[in-house]
Amino acid sequence: MELALSIAERGAGLDREGALDSGAEIEAFLREVEARAYRIAAMNIRDRDEALDIVQDAMIRLVRSYSHRPSEEWRPLFYRILKNRIRDEQRRRMVRSRVLSFFGGTASEEERDPIAEAPGASSDEPLERATSGDAMQALERALTELPARQREAFMLRNFEGLDVAQTAVAMGCTEGSVKTHYSRAVHRLREMLAEHGEEQRA
Amino acid sequence: MSDEKDISAFERETKRVFDESVAGLDAATRSRLTQARYRALEERRPKRSRGWGFTLVPAGTLAATALLAWFIVVRSGPDVGLQQVTSVDDLEILLAEEDLEMLDEDLEFYGWLEEQPEFANADDGVG
Repeated sequence: MELALSIAERGAGLDREGALDSGAEIEAFLREVEARAYRIAAMNIRDRDEALDIVQDAMIRLVRSYSHRPSEEWRPLFYRILKNRIRDEQRRRMVRSRVLSFFGGTASEEERDPIAEAPGASSDEPLERATSGDAMQALERALTELPARQREAFMLRNFEGLDVAQTAVAMGCTEGSVKTHYSRAVHRLREMLAEHGEEQRA
Repeated sequence: MSDEKDISAFERETKRVFDESVAGLDAATRSRLTQARYRALEERRPKRSRGWGFTLVPAGTLAATALLAWFIVVRSGPDVGLQQVTSVDDLEILLAEEDLEMLDEDLEFYGWLEEQPEFANADDGVG
């Protein structure tokens, strides 16, 4: 009986220790990815508060549903959740834009922010300040020109450093598709940025 | 070969530009991200659902089980008492929480039964 209790107590102690280790590990993981995830969300959504909400939601979903999974699975799972949340938001905006245009207004009129458009105002916004470098602005502009799948593949592989297999999990497609999307994205971006460079020089 | 080199250089350059933009995030955004992380980590905390009543049930069950075991061991013959208590089926029944209420109600009855003269010699093999 004592032996059984001793084993049970030891087991409970190990569980607590394991939970603490796992808690510290997932916190370290979230700290590592949060800023990068935010930049990716902000580049796709172009709205600081919405991007922050999306990142928070992705972190909550990861912790709630997948924190018990092996830590090496967290990265692709997190980016898959993030990608889905970004897509959801983009769809929601698209629907809102269509509804508004159906009722006579235009989404661009509704969403236009006169303060943001005022001369010199954009550089005072934190999001804009973070992307004020010419190179980053050019890269962001070029990325928006890419098809969604190519953009996702490029961001996950290049910005986040996911390997092909992890990117396939995050994107929900085959590794072959990842390679194709990524290769096309790189070539298209190089072309667009080369054109941009020539325009700058001219 | 040269094209591959150019692509690698391009990949390195885009990564550097992105990393710089992440490093340049303002303090307000970083603070919001920290808050978001804490909010997410709250999901790991165990939910508080059971009150003291539930905590006391196992202790009550254990006490009632010990009392019942004492009754059986003392009142039964030495050849059957321990055997009955330690069998797996008995333990399952004894440890079942729904039995606790029944035991509490019957304790008075067992006390009264103990005092009755006709049961005074119940350990003669009949009771």
